[in-house]
Amino acid sequence: MNTLLVAKDVKAYYSSPKGFVRAVDGVTLDINPGDVVGVAGESGCGKSTLSNVLMMNVQPPLKFVGGKLILEGVGDLAVMERQKVKAQVWGKVIALVPQSALNALIPTRKVGAFIKDVLGYHLKLDARKASALAQRRFQELGLPVETLAKYPHQLSGGMRQRVVIAIATLLNPKLLIADEPTSALDVSTQKQVLKMFLHLKTEHIVRAIVFITHDIAILRQIATRIAIMYAGKVMEVGPMEAVIQRPVHPYTCSLIRSVLTPEPEVKERGLSHLAGDPPDLLQPPAGCRFHPRCPQSMAICTQEAPPVVGLGKDHFVSCYLVLEGCQC
Amino acid sequence: MYLNVLRYLARRVVFALAAFLFFIVAIFTLPRLIPGNPVDVLVSRLVMQAQANPELIHAVHRKFMEEFGVGLPLWKQFTRFVAQLLRGDLGTSISMYPRKVSEILALFLPWTVALLIPAILVSWAVGNFLGVLIAWRRGTVLDRVITPILLTINRIPFYWFAMVMLFIFAVYLRFFPIGDTYRWGLSPGLNWNFVVNYLHHYALPFLTLVVISTGGWAIGMRSMTIYELGSDYILFADLLGLPQRRLLAYAFRSACLPQVTELGLNFGLMLGGSLLLELVFNYRGMGSITFQALSTLDYPLIQGIFIVLAAAVIAVNLVVDIVYGLVDPRIKVT
Amino acid sequence: MKKLRNTRLIISTGFFLSVVALGVVGPWVYPVDPFSPSGKRTQPPSWEHPLGTDAHGRDVLAQLMHGIRTSLWIGVIAASIATPIGVLVGGISGYKRGVLDELLMASTNIVLAFPPILLLLLVTVFVPVRTRMVVALLIGLTSWPLLARAVRSQVMSLKERQFTFLARMAGLGDIKIVLVELLPNMMSYVFSSFVWLMSGAMLAEAGLSMIGMGVTADVSLGTMLFWAQMIDAVRRGLFWWFIPPGGILTIMSASLLLLATALDELFNPKLRGR
Ligand SMILES: Nc1ncnc2c1ncn2[C@@H]1O[C@H](COP(=O)(O)OP(=O)(O)O)[C@@H](O)[C@H]1O
Ligand SMILES: [Mg+2]
Repeated sequence: MNTLLVAKDVKAYYSSPKGFVRAVDGVTLDINPGDVVGVAGESGCGKSTLSNVLMMNVQPPLKFVGGKLILEGVGDLAVMERQKVKAQVWGKVIALVPQSALNALIPTRKVGAFIKDVLGYHLKLDARKASALAQRRFQELGLPVETLAKYPHQLSGGMRQRVVIAIATLLNPKLLIADEPTSALDVSTQKQVLKMFLHLKTEHIVRAIVFITHDIAILRQIATRIAIMYAGKVMEVGPMEAVIQRPVHPYTCSLIRSVLTPEPEVKERGLSHLAGDPPDLLQPPAGCRFHPRCPQSMAICTQEAPPVVGLGKDHFVSCYLVLEGCQC
Repeated sequence: MYLNVLRYLARRVVFALAAFLFFIVAIFTLPRLIPGNPVDVLVSRLVMQAQANPELIHAVHRKFMEEFGVGLPLWKQFTRFVAQLLRGDLGTSISMYPRKVSEILALFLPWTVALLIPAILVSWAVGNFLGVLIAWRRGTVLDRVITPILLTINRIPFYWFAMVMLFIFAVYLRFFPIGDTYRWGLSPGLNWNFVVNYLHHYALPFLTLVVISTGGWAIGMRSMTIYELGSDYILFADLLGLPQRRLLAYAFRSACLPQVTELGLNFGLMLGGSLLLELVFNYRGMGSITFQALSTLDYPLIQGIFIVLAAAVIAVNLVVDIVYGLVDPRIKVT
Repeated sequence: MKKLRNTRLIISTGFFLSVVALGVVGPWVYPVDPFSPSGKRTQPPSWEHPLGTDAHGRDVLAQLMHGIRTSLWIGVIAASIATPIGVLVGGISGYKRGVLDELLMASTNIVLAFPPILLLLLVTVFVPVRTRMVVALLIGLTSWPLLARAVRSQVMSLKERQFTFLARMAGLGDIKIVLVELLPNMMSYVFSSFVWLMSGAMLAEAGLSMIGMGVTADVSLGTMLFWAQMIDAVRRGLFWWFIPPGGILTIMSASLLLLATALDELFNPKLRGR
């Protein structure tokens, strides 16, 4: 099968008065049909930016600086105009559930009315057909049909999140990108949302999912592949089991370790046993971006960024410790 | 669900009544803070102002003493005051003795309403439309040129603009009459002659009021729409591939809601402005009567004007709040 | 985009400072008494009287210069009174929420909805002699509500941010958090609000004067308009008398408002417009 979306050395920077913020700085990622690609990393490492860049939602101050974004059946999105990408791709081929999904519904419009707008525009359905389709889809995804007659403020946070996911996938997009869809929810609601994602995939409503989170534990329940991001770069990417069981990059190790430490503080406040903060993306450190915080940093790490090295099937890592592995 | 609407309405009504009570107490208290006999003081000021004949002054004084309830205990004065108010009795005018204040106001109020309400509604509609248009083209040359101009218009003093308009269009170009409400000798009525004459007099103050107020609405709508266009739900609708015009329509809907509330808050401001404007145009409404009351220090009249205008402001705000409750689903259904 | 905002900043500051210069330096360069007649009545502009004379034969240019001073003085004082009240009421309201918030906002809305001019009317009736200070005080005490509303929503959003959370953890008291943590983050906003309030206060002064309720025994831009209106300058075609004071007032007030919006865009780009 063809790869759905190939991101090749993609770079997108925010221009700010002080210079460029290198939020996505050379990301390479393949998304294949059937994949659930989990993207994990601390806050501020460029995950949300990546989610927007993957569908070419790039607007000032964000600038697409370089790289390719080849979408199956469409071509290189990077060379297309934003309006053209929007018309051909958004909603239909790639759908994004933004990080702010809890506020993503129009406050003055009932859920059903908004769905009618979407279906009316894309599929030219009249109100009755649109409503029938919406009801069917809601039932299928286990959402109460009454929700369609409600305003967003009448729904709980978890319900709003699920409704937004349902709306994003109405047109059966090939790829669904979800930015922190579970982060604002409590554990039991998280489970429902995860179940919904699995359903979307097993029922072939969507063909692949990019699931972004800062909480690597969630990924165990859903991802087939995991990409670890740090300071705008992908540090390690590979099959879920391989990355979780045999991580190579020290940063992957600390992310996994932070999950094993069951203190409630840890998940909120970053990684307790990892000193320091993520770097300022205005002036990222030379060499490996992780070296100032890396417990196993070597002289060479401060000078030259390590190359991306393949380790067996589909497992890549950007670290000089490829051979030794990290000390988990 | 309807319980919520009811609770919302009840709160608004209670708030309106409380606000009105507050003003009543204020207007009752203020003159009574004057040391000595307030009636003496207020009437003596009148005497200094106008050389009226002593008999008249005496009659005025007696009437005023009686209405004021001088000598009675304070609580009794207050209950009398409220009872009179409830009967619609606002006392007797001093400068136009022995005419009743309520009679005078009934004569002048309709003309102000006829000028103010249409002007507010028209400027609100035009301003909001203009604001959305600019917001849609934000950052373009249109925005960069028109927005500062609108901001400047928003700062032109009402009364001065009225003077300039009057000078250009009535005195210099002679397109319109140089003031007044209708030609002398005509009697108001629903006949062709009168209506045409009235509209001819009406046009210039009306346009002045509309032009000046449109700027403020447009600026407000522009920034509200831009704010809404940057919100998360517009982003999501955009990501779903919905067209630009649809996004604008969503933002417009949300941005209109606060503009409805502003309508109430701005009513007071526009009322103040239109009073001054009436003076310049010699338009026979509340502005002229306010000015007369002030320059003759006709206290009962001032008090009556104050109470009527306060009631109007509070009532308009109440109506606006109720309308808001009906159009904003966040209040309607919870 | 950035540059454009700066252009707006520079242009508006330039306009404002020119008017200020006219009021401050003018009387030195053009030492004519604004209070007593210095020529024939209602003279159109001439070399002797660049802006003509009024109905008493007083020089309009001299009055204008003096009027600018009065208006500025009242604008500054009134804004200095209204700013702290607005910040305090809005700050407490936004920080404390609950019943106190409801009460403060209710009273704010009353003052806000009420035509300031009417409120001022009522008071001025009982204050027959009105110095600049009295007028500034009256305007200052009635023009804070919009600011209070804006500050309240600012504080509410600032409060959510982490530094307040950390400060609360560190055991600072509420008042201290408002003063030490929140206020410094709003300084630029408070400053632009001051500018914006000043712009409104000068207009309010003129409005009061226009119905004869402004400063007594002094010349301001508003009293000039008042006298012009009283003597029917418009219908008599004495344009040199009533056009300059309103024009100057518009320039001052508009340049201050433009300045305030430019400052807001510069320092608080995410701010919702007022
Ligand atoms: N509009 C912007 N202008 C400048 N920098 C930005 C902007 N938005 C985000 N950034 C910066 O880009 C980096 C990545 O942000 P983001 O993609 O939101 O990270 P994440 O989703 O992983 O938390 C951060 O350092 C953030 O400060
Ligand atoms: Mg994010």
